Amino acid sequence: MPVMQIQSQTNSQSESIERQSELSWYPHPEGTYDEAFTESRIARPHWQRLVESISSLGKDGLSDRERRALRILRDDGATYNLAAEPMSPKVWSLDPIPSVIHDKEWQKIESALIERSTLFDLILKDIYGPRNLIKQGVVPPEVIYGHPGFLRACQSMEVPGNHNLLLHAADMVRSQDGNFCIIGDRTQAPSGAGYALENRTVLSRVMPSVFRDSQVHRLAYFFQALRDMLSKLVEDKTDNPRIVVMTPGAYSNSYFEQALLANYLGYSLVQGSDLTVRNGHVWLKSLQGLEKVDVILRRVDDAFCDQAELRSDSYLGVPGILEVIRSGNVVMANPLGSGILETPALLKYLPQISQYFFGHDLSIESVQTWWCGDSHDLQFVKDNLHDLIVKPAIRTASSPSIYGRQLSSVEREQLFERIKAAPHRYTAQSYLAASHTPAWQNGSVCSRPTILRTFTVSNDTSYQVMAGGLTRVCAGENDTIVTNFNGSKSKDTWVMSKALDNDLTLTNKHTLPQGGLHSNLPSRVVENLFWMGRYAERAEMTIRLLRTVFVQINEVDSLPKECRDVLFKALSVQTGSIPGFCEESEALLNNPESEFVAMVADASRMGSVKSNLLALLTCTEEIKEMLSADTRKIINNLRDYLFELDRAYINGLPEAPEESLDNLVTCLLALSGLNHESMLRGIDWKFQEIGRRTERALQTATLLRSTLTESLSQLNQQQVLESVLLSVEALISFRRRYRTQVEVEYGLDLLMLDETNPRSLFYQVDQLRLLVSDLPRSETSLREMSTEVRLIIQSLSDIQLANLETLSIVDPMTKQRENLNQLMMELQERLELFTSKISDKYFDHKTSGPQKLVSTEWNNDV
Amino acid sequence: MIYRVRHITEYKYVSPVSLCYNVAHLMPRDTQMQTCLTSSIKVKPEPISQQERIDYFGNKSFYFSVQDAHKKLVIDVVSELNISTNIVLPDLTQGLTCREYLDLICVSNDPDFLEAREFLLDSPMIRSSQELADYAKDVFQDDVPLLMALRQFTSKIFTEFKFDPNVTTVATPLDQVLKLKGGVCQDFAHLAIGCLRSLGFPTRYMSGYLETLPPPGEEKLIGADASHAWFSVFVPNIGWVEFDPTNDVMPTTQHLVTAWGRDYSDVTPLQGVIFDGGEGQTLSVSVDVQRLGRTR
Repeated sequence: MPVMQIQSQTNSQSESIERQSELSWYPHPEGTYDEAFTESRIARPHWQRLVESISSLGKDGLSDRERRALRILRDDGATYNLAAEPMSPKVWSLDPIPSVIHDKEWQKIESALIERSTLFDLILKDIYGPRNLIKQGVVPPEVIYGHPGFLRACQSMEVPGNHNLLLHAADMVRSQDGNFCIIGDRTQAPSGAGYALENRTVLSRVMPSVFRDSQVHRLAYFFQALRDMLSKLVEDKTDNPRIVVMTPGAYSNSYFEQALLANYLGYSLVQGSDLTVRNGHVWLKSLQGLEKVDVILRRVDDAFCDQAELRSDSYLGVPGILEVIRSGNVVMANPLGSGILETPALLKYLPQISQYFFGHDLSIESVQTWWCGDSHDLQFVKDNLHDLIVKPAIRTASSPSIYGRQLSSVEREQLFERIKAAPHRYTAQSYLAASHTPAWQNGSVCSRPTILRTFTVSNDTSYQVMAGGLTRVCAGENDTIVTNFNGSKSKDTWVMSKALDNDLTLTNKHTLPQGGLHSNLPSRVVENLFWMGRYAERAEMTIRLLRTVFVQINEVDSLPKECRDVLFKALSVQTGSIPGFCEESEALLNNPESEFVAMVADASRMGSVKSNLLALLTCTEEIKEMLSADTRKIINNLRDYLFELDRAYINGLPEAPEESLDNLVTCLLALSGLNHESMLRGIDWKFQEIGRRTERALQTATLLRSTLTESLSQLNQQQVLESVLLSVEALISFRRRYRTQVEVEYGLDLLMLDETNPRSLFYQVDQLRLLVSDLPRSETSLREMSTEVRLIIQSLSDIQLANLETLSIVDPMTKQRENLNQLMMELQERLELFTSKISDKYFDHKTSGPQKLVSTEWNNDV
Repeated sequence: MIYRVRHITEYKYVSPVSLCYNVAHLMPRDTQMQTCLTSSIKVKPEPISQQERIDYFGNKSFYFSVQDAHKKLVIDVVSELNISTNIVLPDLTQGLTCREYLDLICVSNDPDFLEAREFLLDSPMIRSSQELADYAKDVFQDDVPLLMALRQFTSKIFTEFKFDPNVTTVATPLDQVLKLKGGVCQDFAHLAIGCLRSLGFPTRYMSGYLETLPPPGEEKLIGADASHAWFSVFVPNIGWVEFDPTNDVMPTTQHLVTAWGRDYSDVTPLQGVIFDGGEGQTLSVSVDVQRLGRTR
């Protein structure tokens, strides 16, 4: 194995040899173009500095950088493909070795990409305009007419400015002859630009000195251009446009990137259901009412954007939006219908199209493509299936590329039969062996094929190209091409510059802040914050009570039966696991283990610790873009501890069942601490706080009712009261204040009435009073108190007017503290009513989505 | 000949609809044989926004949105049409044979032919199949003039299928219609289109009205007319030639065109979504076609 030629400037000779030998593992595959090294295995000049750095970092250094990168990515919540599984999101994978492109080479790429975007724009305008490409025989009609992405409803829709295609991404590889070649385009809602930004952010943190020394072109210009473009779309209408990023939701593959972009660009992240069409405009449903939207940067696919005119079965769209776009009252980027440009069949005709529009060939070619709708191509594909990749002309998630050489001859025949049945739906491309780049994999530097996704955005006269892009690495040495993000590692892409770029970070040059921070939160976001508060509090109270009981059942002195029954039943009530222990089944009370396990770890049981925490995690995913870096860290920890909890409870109740609960409590406390110390007191904080306070009041009332209503013998009464105090962290204060007088009356004093105890009922309801007094009100409302304020005032005065002696009276017939029971029940009812009033008033209710209008029945017709 | 068409569509909902967004294809377009003189559309309750446009196929479409809560939605369209009375039907024995036609369409660079190929492809409600091709292929022998074959095929459907409003619905798929040997005009039009596309002839869906005449000596009933559907095939040098398999005729003055497309879904009289409204909507339609005479 030849040793790589590198100029490593290390002090010690032996160290140098060691490092070189480690990099000498870098295999130079025969006959492949290597981005970093020449054929004589000398680092190419623009890679030299990086190769030196890799060499001096050594294996351990790189491993360390990779670990650090992973940690940052995880803390940033950089995930993809959440796939409706909040427990196990895949963390975005970043190679610590970037990919480097020479400045001169980049200039050629840049002009080729501008040329390509310009051509695609002309195609888009023609397809939804005169269709001369079809009429003049340049493109066969079936390529366009037979593609479901050709949306006839979008005929003649106009886009302000010079271009219809506003954003464009192209995947390119360098083939073995050293030339670049484009293998595919993304034209409706191109993803990846945000991941490229994240890669840059992370890499410049874990490799600060290398990055600083390398003079890399900045990515910020691209995003500035994107912002300028979006603002200019409506510049004749408003100087201060409201721009939103429209996402398919938290479970779309690239949700992290959408949230990141929205934050970086300073736009609201909204779902289709956060928007509504009224009076011929599009509006954002926010707490303050409806706010007009001017521009939508969409990540929702074409056909799903409007239930009224496109797919009526969509859950992601805004009914009626197409007509608003037609009338020019909102602009969408990219425009609807642009997905048609993604068909690989178009690649075959690009040379002719380029001749038709420009009179010359494209300077970077596309991969050789055959379209089976052409009879000559069909014959070629039949004869050469072994050497081709078959791609559906209509790209969907469920129809991946098929590699001819991986099929048996029988399978190839079957494939061809399928192609023959609908030839215009298939294309084939030749294998393209991509150039290799050094990649860090499994603890060593390997040589791997890579593919680069590039991005362009429309500007006044032309297109601006992102200086860099998203490089992805094939997992195997001989893998051909990665086409999706799943499982592949990515690289930061460095375009070397001769001079340092001017400092540029995104500033609000063209746009004023949109009416104060988060003033335009969609009500869905606020609702999720509200529920986040509630679930966090609910989980915490439940865990605390469980923990208290678990400790007691394992103590040397066994828990007296009377206490045990009360506490177990309280657990069933608190977790909503009715009947559970409330059934008073002796068998269950004597063998409670399986019931305990379910209360803790059964995700399918409503009210269990796990189900509450999963619900909390789901809420946090929905509002990802709102979470601070520290909050994300805590959420990650919470997820880890939930895994630990699963492991601990997998074989039934563990020996010390409370142990794995401790960390969860710590996380939840950290979360509430952050809320208090780091969140601005905006509308978002207020609603989360309302959620928390209401839930804590409800849980406390429930706890007092279920534990202290029943009158027990004195010693047992004491033990139950002490358990309750312990579970709400009040036992020490209690002992200090009341010494040994363990009376229910004193307990209630501390837990109900004490205005200095942040866990007392009074404290919660008094906080609620302050919070609800300055919530947004409709302008027309009268001076009278709103129902929700009234409910809180009533509850507050009931608590204040309570007489502890009266509450403690035990009914001699029932042996119950009936007055206490009654008061707590009333409080519970009022608080429940309060939450439903809040939710009716402030949150949007999608109880019934749009339904399709029935069609004329055939029967009426001739 | 001048006609007046009144088409009233009425939706009733169980509980109030808070919002609706709709697109209607209810106003007749112009064709070579007909001119739409006037067309007015009234929606109740009053739409908050409405817009008339020309759609992709050149049809008139009408978008409207209602924001007032309503349990009843009424769309009342009145149009007056002038239908040319000197329609000359083509000589069926002339023109290309079926084989000549099929050979030509593969290679022709005539822009009309290229554009007509859109109507060879599967559309949302019609998919080509071997069964459909098999049903029709006997009629379309290589050496038979295409127009003749098309006319015979129209008769074939007319004689072999029973008009029966109770056997199909808007959702009945074509292979079912072929088995049931029955249906209404839309089924027959879709069936014919499916067969012809399966054989390689570009065919489109025609939507409109048919003037019905009362039995001799009886008064014509108001609202008794109905919307109608038939098909047309692209023929070089002539254009799109229409056939009505429900009545076994080539349309002339009694067929009034509203719109055309690839199939029913392109020209649905009223499509859209509503918010709220509860479970179950009822729809009633009444159509009147009235002959006004040679001049207004």
